[in-house]
Amino acid sequence: MNLEVQSLLRARWPAGKSAARSLLAVSLTIAVIFAADASAEDAARWLERAAQAARTLNYAGTIVYQHNGHVETSRLVHLFDGGQEQEKLVSLDGPAREVIRSSAEVRCYFPDNKIIRIEPRTFRNVFPSLSAEQARNLAQYYEARMVVSERIAGHWTQVMTFEPKDGLRYGHKFWADANTGLLLKARLVDDRGEVVEQFAFTDVNINEKVDRDMVKPSWATAPPDWQIKQGSFGEMLPRETGWSASRLPGGFQKIMEGYRTLRGKREPVAHLVYSDGLVAVSVFVEPIALPAIQTGVSQQGGLTVYTTKQDDHLITVLGEAPPAAVRQIAQSVAKR
Amino acid sequence: MNEKLSRLMDGEVDAQEFERICAELKSPAAVETWICYHVIGDQLRGARGVSPGLTARFCAALDAEPTILAPGAQRGRTAQVATAAWAVAATLAAVTVVGWTAFSMVDAPPTAVARAREAATVRAAQIKPLGDLSADYLIAHQEYSPSTAIQGMGPYVRAVAVTGNEPRP
Repeated sequence: MNLEVQSLLRARWPAGKSAARSLLAVSLTIAVIFAADASAEDAARWLERAAQAARTLNYAGTIVYQHNGHVETSRLVHLFDGGQEQEKLVSLDGPAREVIRSSAEVRCYFPDNKIIRIEPRTFRNVFPSLSAEQARNLAQYYEARMVVSERIAGHWTQVMTFEPKDGLRYGHKFWADANTGLLLKARLVDDRGEVVEQFAFTDVNINEKVDRDMVKPSWATAPPDWQIKQGSFGEMLPRETGWSASRLPGGFQKIMEGYRTLRGKREPVAHLVYSDGLVAVSVFVEPIALPAIQTGVSQQGGLTVYTTKQDDHLITVLGEAPPAAVRQIAQSVAKR
Repeated sequence: MNEKLSRLMDGEVDAQEFERICAELKSPAAVETWICYHVIGDQLRGARGVSPGLTARFCAALDAEPTILAPGAQRGRTAQVATAAWAVAATLAAVTVVGWTAFSMVDAPPTAVARAREAATVRAAQIKPLGDLSADYLIAHQEYSPSTAIQGMGPYVRAVAVTGNEPRP
């Protein structure tokens, strides 16, 4: 690009005007850089808006999740009342699995297995407000573009894409409601341009009244023959674990480190989370309980899981990243 | 053999198997597949470099070339600079040709395409569904992922997807 501009200028301008020529070349370059930066910052602002909208708006709709040739439809209701969130997600296909999320806990109901899992929330997942510098950091690993608007579930949307600059992350495409910023569709694309997974509202009511009843679990009390599996509260406290991943893809930073007690595990499991600002990769390290454990890669839509052994520890790494990235992180996990 | 190479590239073989594959790598066909997989891998990862083998072979070939552009003793300084510039340009051109050849390998010879497909099939076969992973890990992870923050509760669908992991009673 620059070479082209310069040779064009050289051909047209006489030799004496080199200063003016280079000034023009420099300003053209700056204009190009700023244009790229502006759309990256624009896209980052839209993501912040989307995160804010997801938390603070009332909405109810039907969400379709597509992955590996499967399609699953769920009903999603979100209530924001008195500064508190309460949400309900019910699968409409197959057994009526259900997730209820409040500011205190996440409850998962699995009626087919007669299990209720209750996970206390000790971390408030609030998308960080990106500074101009962080937005530029994001722009270092993704090419952000604002694309023409499209209509999704009856709403006009602002469309933006984040195309990765290396093979260690997926491409992202987001459709945000033009009025409220709420994400109505999100797609992950691999390096061959194939859709890895997609979430999309097929219908959604935003900012309409949501009753408390609409976000209550379908089972007021647990049926007597169901098992309740509950994690203890306050178990996930930030703490040094002594473990770390040394070969992180560029831009990934540790956002959390600590221990948690997972059900069915005798010893606490070390949990570290790394993020590049758009996705996260979790590293779990625990002493091996089973003599033979299957190691290798598994995938479901945008989630990749890599399991490996290191001496007498089992390392499980999972995140919304391609197998190459998850494997690279998993194989570099070691005692500090 | 191709599957073994694929697994070796992915670092998924033990020491014994490693020895065995290395022994088998002595056949030219295996080496060809090995190089081919790496070029495909580099290309898929978007690497802008040529695989190490190609670079080494290119350097060896360049060393073996007779030096045609040696500056003559009678030439002046300007001529020497010009000659050096030509040498650099020629080298760049050669690198570009080699680089282009390496990149176009992916869609040029039909055997390479067949091998790429094979590699992709091998890879796909190795990737298992999440079947045996506990939902606990997923729920624990989901809470910290920016994708949950950006998209709201949608990604929790993954944790309870019917086609995905079955919770253990």
